[in-house]
Amino acid sequence: MRKISIIIGLISAILAVILSVLPLSNLAYIPAIIALILGVLSIYLSNKEGKSKKTIQIVFLLSIIALSLAIYKSIFTTVEVGNTEELEKREQQSEQEAIEELEELDIDEEDLEDINNELESLDNEDLNAIENELEEIDTEDLEIE
Amino acid sequence: MLIKSLIEYINIFNMKKIVFLLTLGICFTTAKAQNTAVGNSEKLVYTATYNMSGILNDLAQVTMETSKVRTSKATLLRLKCTATTYSKWDSFFKIRDLYESYVSPTSLKPYLYKREINEGGYYKYMKYTFKHSSGYVKSLKKKKRSDGTIWEENKKVLINHNTNDLVTTLYKLRTIDFSNMSSGQSKSFKVIFDNEEHTVNFKYLGTETIASAIGTKNCYKLAISISDNNVLKGANENLLWLSADANKIPIYAKFKIAVGNGELKIKSASGLKN
Repeated sequence: MRKISIIIGLISAILAVILSVLPLSNLAYIPAIIALILGVLSIYLSNKEGKSKKTIQIVFLLSIIALSLAIYKSIFTTVEVGNTEELEKREQQSEQEAIEELEELDIDEEDLEDINNELESLDNEDLNAIENELEEIDTEDLEIE
Repeated sequence: MLIKSLIEYINIFNMKKIVFLLTLGICFTTAKAQNTAVGNSEKLVYTATYNMSGILNDLAQVTMETSKVRTSKATLLRLKCTATTYSKWDSFFKIRDLYESYVSPTSLKPYLYKREINEGGYYKYMKYTFKHSSGYVKSLKKKKRSDGTIWEENKKVLINHNTNDLVTTLYKLRTIDFSNMSSGQSKSFKVIFDNEEHTVNFKYLGTETIASAIGTKNCYKLAISISDNNVLKGANENLLWLSADANKIPIYAKFKIAVGNGELKIKSASGLKN
């Protein structure tokens, strides 16, 4: 039991160190905590059986290093977007190409100009009608007078 | 007698005037009813997180931008979405994706769609030119071979009159009036993706308050599912929260796919229409 807990504890501690170095440092907490728990268990069992605790010290040391690194990274590392120059160039290029392609397309003009056209037609027709009616009313009024 | 006829005439004139004003009003309302949510200089920034062994890791930044594009014939709206991995992931798995759609500013009808995927050495390009009057899409697909050379494929895909691309669908969703919908009611959109037409269903699940980087917002909760496709896993596990205001911007999203699950959280929003 003591040997098994030391082996699993050591593996977990090594895994925690590896994960803490990678961008996946958030994941290092799980193996580091497992390693610490197994380390405590191993110490208890070693005391009971009166055996050496040297390997357990390594488990503790590695898991503390992993935890410190993971905590440091989560506090001080700010997430930022990498180099997007190439993407921005592609965006601009793509827009230029799209404009050229759109020029060739049969864009549904009704759809794009519908409001303007409707307003214009309404303006012209109805305003003319109203003006005509006003003129007629004026002439009739004059006749009454 | 003359005075009576004059009054009648004025009444007819007034009626015509009222009808004219009403028509003008209706005209304005119908035109506005199509797109009252999407502005032409909007920028929405999101953080995409991926769940690894129960721990969420910030993976990429997703931006959704709109801008005006002028051609000699018309002015269109450019809907642009980009996905960029955070610098810490770039040396492991670099993502630089670009999704674009050129649509009508009033009806959000798509005319041109482009998708350029650059994910850790994997490259794919898709272009759809919509021919609405003929009922098809002219598709161009480019892919990178293992030796680095690029092959092309041209196709003609038949579509329904109301089929949109993926990006347009995301924006068109914002034009729906959810305030009149009851919980459990669904809205369907025909979407063309990878040269295939799919039906994407958005089920309205009511309103919920979400705390986000832009404040606590009352949101419309929607469950997303795709008919005849198993990309999205689980029932009601792919969720989207849209702000319950005139802009209806996506505030938060949860997704579950075959390789895991993740979230999309809003970071900032600017240039909103309302």
